[in-house]
Amino acid sequence: MSSSSLTLPEAGQAATRNRRILEILGAAAIAGTYIYLVLNQPADIASGPGSASALIALSGFLAGAILLVVAVLPTLPTTTVVLIPVALVLNIVMGQFVGSTLVPFYLDAIGTVLIAVLAGPAAGAATGALSSIVWSFFNPTVLPFAAGAALIGFLAGLAARHGFFRRFYLAPVAGFITGVLAGVVSAPVAAFVFGGTSGLATGAIVSAFRAMGDSLLAAITKQALISDPMDKAIVFTLVALLVYALPRRLTLQFPFVRRFRVLAGSRDS
Amino acid sequence: MCGASGSWPEAGIPRPGRISPLTGLTAVVAAIVVTTAVGHWSLSLAVLLAAAVATAAARTARRVWSAAALILLPFAASLLLTHGLFFPEGHTVLWAWGPARLTVEGLGFAGAMLLRGAVLVVLLLALSFSIRPADVMALSAKYEVPAQLAFVLCSTLTIAPDISRRAQRIREAQQLRGLHTGTSLPARAASFRALAVPLLLSVMNDAGQRAAALEVRGFGGPAARTSLREVPDSRLQAVFRWTVAAGLPVFLVLWFGPGWGGSAP
Repeated sequence: MSSSSLTLPEAGQAATRNRRILEILGAAAIAGTYIYLVLNQPADIASGPGSASALIALSGFLAGAILLVVAVLPTLPTTTVVLIPVALVLNIVMGQFVGSTLVPFYLDAIGTVLIAVLAGPAAGAATGALSSIVWSFFNPTVLPFAAGAALIGFLAGLAARHGFFRRFYLAPVAGFITGVLAGVVSAPVAAFVFGGTSGLATGAIVSAFRAMGDSLLAAITKQALISDPMDKAIVFTLVALLVYALPRRLTLQFPFVRRFRVLAGSRDS
Repeated sequence: MCGASGSWPEAGIPRPGRISPLTGLTAVVAAIVVTTAVGHWSLSLAVLLAAAVATAAARTARRVWSAAALILLPFAASLLLTHGLFFPEGHTVLWAWGPARLTVEGLGFAGAMLLRGAVLVVLLLALSFSIRPADVMALSAKYEVPAQLAFVLCSTLTIAPDISRRAQRIREAQQLRGLHTGTSLPARAASFRALAVPLLLSVMNDAGQRAAALEVRGFGGPAARTSLREVPDSRLQAVFRWTVAAGLPVFLVLWFGPGWGGSAP
């Protein structure tokens, strides 16, 4: 009874509960938006710009991502928070560079996956969502993809937690699976908000499927299922190369790496 | 001093630069939502025209429109490729070559999407070119936004040039040491690793020092933060924000509700 006043548990519990509610609301907003868009595939996509669907995709995914960021960010240790800007710069620089080439990949999640491997799924999700938000200061077309970016970070963290980075050949497998799910989530945004894709190379793939008679959403989903899994497999492999090239004293500074034996040779503390 | 009772006139329309970032954000969100909901090319064009006037008044027109062009030109090319040439739902064929068919309906769809995308891009760029990072920090302290969020937003915008300079120095140092910079895939992978690992090491070391410095200053603690900086604002702007925040949901309900002309899903 008397010990409760020494550790101030009530305020801490209330804050934790509030954050948990925000997390649940964020995840529900993202899942609900996706389910709504897929179940109510609007017929207006080809007969007009699909205004209601675009608004729902834009607001639902973005609100969900922002709720997740607000819930997760205050729980992260300062050592992780100060690393997030570095990861965001890495994402933006690589994304801008690859986006300007004629390669149907993105490579804009290296920083996100790096943080997820070092600090866990929550940090990865927050980094992914923040990456889209901060990048939108220079390129607003990435803003609606914040939920997809958060999902990539979350899944990368889960993969790291379950040992997919302990064996080098498992990293691209985890990346491939993450890419499939990320592509499925991002496709409705690309379809309803942008009417396709903003890249020339990815646009060429969409137009090839359209020429075969696919509907717009089907063509974009197929394009995403080609580009995203390969892209994430490459990204996960690059991140595995990077984290194993870093000195052990640096990677073992992260409690997540030690606790879940994320990397080969890392032990429980 | 830029206090609330500073040298600027208290009444009248706020001049560019004296508008709160929150007011700008509210106006931009409202314009994007209304333009997207209505989904008509004439409204999109009108909003873009208004943005041209606003950016000219704020003297950011050249930066905003050149940045927007860099984003919108590939977007336009992608839309033309996807819908201008391959639009199975199109019937009025203007030109055909093999499987490619240029249709009126496809061009119309691509044009509408481009205009709507242009509104999103131009308005958000105009907003980001008018915001000062210091104002974002001050606003986050005022409204008790998590310190971590404000730190990440502002830190990313300020460390990007530093990381770029650092990468350049490492690249030059590696080239002096004889780094192979061929065009083959293995050579590119080797040069990527030779650049990325030292860069990552150096920024991670810096991040560790920054974390220690922030922690001893109580970063992210429960105490309320204060800011010496006064972000420009006025009662008129507050009224505008609340009016828009209340009016936007009403507009959406009326527009998409039964009996109105909006296009429900």
